[in-house]
Amino acid sequence: MSDDTPSVESGATTADQPPRPAGYRHLMRAVLYREYLVFVRYPANAVGGIVVALFFFGVLFYGGRMIAGRALTDSIEGIIVGYFLWTLSVGAYSSISNDIGSEVQWGTLERHVMTPFGFAPVALLKGVAKLVRTFLTSALILAVMLVMTGTALSLNVLTVVTVATLTVVSVLGLGFAAGGITVLYKRVGNWLNLLQFGFIVLISAPAFDLGWVRLLPLAHGSALLQRAMVDGTRLWEFSIPELALLVGVAAGYLAGGYLVFQVATRRARRLGVLGDY
Amino acid sequence: MTASESVGDIEASAERATQSRAEAATGDPAVVVDGLRKTFGSGPEAVTAVDGVSVAIERGSVVGLLGPNGAGKTTLIKSILGMVVPDEGDVRIGGVDARASPRTAYADVDAMLEGARNDYWRLTVRENLRYFATVSGVDPDSVAARHDRLLERLDLAGKADVAVRDLSRGMKQKVSLASVLAGGAGVVFLDEPTLGLDVESSRTLQRELRRLVAEENLTVILSSHDMDVVERVCDRVVIMSDGRVVADDTVEALLGSDDSHRLELTSADFDEALRGTLAEHPAVVATEGLDRGGRVELRADSDGLYALMADLDDRGVTLDDVRSVDRDLETAFVDLTGTDGPDP
Repeated sequence: MSDDTPSVESGATTADQPPRPAGYRHLMRAVLYREYLVFVRYPANAVGGIVVALFFFGVLFYGGRMIAGRALTDSIEGIIVGYFLWTLSVGAYSSISNDIGSEVQWGTLERHVMTPFGFAPVALLKGVAKLVRTFLTSALILAVMLVMTGTALSLNVLTVVTVATLTVVSVLGLGFAAGGITVLYKRVGNWLNLLQFGFIVLISAPAFDLGWVRLLPLAHGSALLQRAMVDGTRLWEFSIPELALLVGVAAGYLAGGYLVFQVATRRARRLGVLGDY
Repeated sequence: MTASESVGDIEASAERATQSRAEAATGDPAVVVDGLRKTFGSGPEAVTAVDGVSVAIERGSVVGLLGPNGAGKTTLIKSILGMVVPDEGDVRIGGVDARASPRTAYADVDAMLEGARNDYWRLTVRENLRYFATVSGVDPDSVAARHDRLLERLDLAGKADVAVRDLSRGMKQKVSLASVLAGGAGVVFLDEPTLGLDVESSRTLQRELRRLVAEENLTVILSSHDMDVVERVCDRVVIMSDGRVVADDTVEALLGSDDSHRLELTSADFDEALRGTLAEHPAVVATEGLDRGGRVELRADSDGLYALMADLDDRGVTLDDVRSVDRDLETAFVDLTGTDGPDP
């Protein structure tokens, strides 16, 4: 990425070159590099999120142990996996929906709309960056939770990362939809953030053993992640229909959320409220 | 659309931008707006922000868009740029229908919008230039030298590696302008580029803008409430009122477009009664009482002026002072729109 910040000297060597077109490869590098710079230069938000998440887990764990005693300790593995998935979901959802809201407020979303790429691919790439960022912070939270509770989980990286990513992609789709609604109705971000508490229900949904619930975001993935991290099931040990449903739910909600975002942006242009914050 | 088709589109857009520059030498207008109309809301609450506007912007020209608050300037600009979808009318940029082929049409266009940051304050100045060059469809490595030149021109070279959030307001405005020009756009929309700047910063930005226009052969559409900015920077002025174009002419033509004379007459004989009588006269635009007598401001063509002077002579008025009041853009604006001037 160092070539993204050329020195004045290196610029001088290209003085007479005609401009070359930028493709999606350049766009991907530019968007991901921007997200990386913001993350490393302004870590306060990420650190704050980690501290708050661990604080609430501490309250849940120590408070729960005082009240429920052994009952909580017996189910601590499931609670840790569920909490890990919840921090991942909240991180992915709120970062993309809030980020779209900020782009509207700054006027940068409007500016992207008239570029050759448009804003949608930029938002999608931002989603990828947010996902990577959220994985880093949630992995740290997971490590601290394991040390705090003295618990051991099966951490096959390929299995956990694949299942968790596909699970959270459905939430990323919800984030895009929420971002689209923010583009249309502006200051509804705080209300939409309440949705993240609904994620707790969806992550706990496998416990209810309802077939259709598996079609909701997070629910099926949560069940597979529990099996992967608690029971040690490897990715290739899941059945094809189980993996197909995981991929289908992820793709469906991502595509649906992206579509809602596109439709909302188009409607905002018709109503003249795209940048009207 | 496949990935390869998309990449092809982007490359075609970039080629189109280069082609637009090549066409700059021809007489084709850079922007043509035909019968643009936009109404917000419906029923009795409906507001027509842009009402059948047609205008053509020649390549290499700087066109000022003037009008009171609510005249429709920003809606017109956003409709041209596709940020607002118009109800009727066509927009052609470089001869390309913007609604049918937006990517191609906007390949050579960028904009700095009123009240918006336009760039990322947590990135440095240079990082913003590189980012916005990329999203404009230009490989930032290939325009690195251009970025250096831009930073030098706008006196930002020393701040190239400073986060935009740490700069003064005037510098932030300059960064906005630089990031708009970073991708080498030939057609640039600037909505209130000097808003909130102090006089010195505004003058610097105006000077640099004029220089960049000359050096880069830019076509600029500039909206501003500041008459000085429009008068200093623009070749031509489009004045809007209630969503319509009420004047579209060169600055020189608007400043001296009629045979009217504006004079300010001071006399000890202009007592309250006479001032009241004169206020009814069609040539008199304002009266004012002084410690001794009063002052009358009038606007009339030669015949009207002689008639008023003859009337004053008949009344035995002795004039103590006669001053010519220069016609400026604000005067022209007030005459055309019937308002006191653009709202600050």
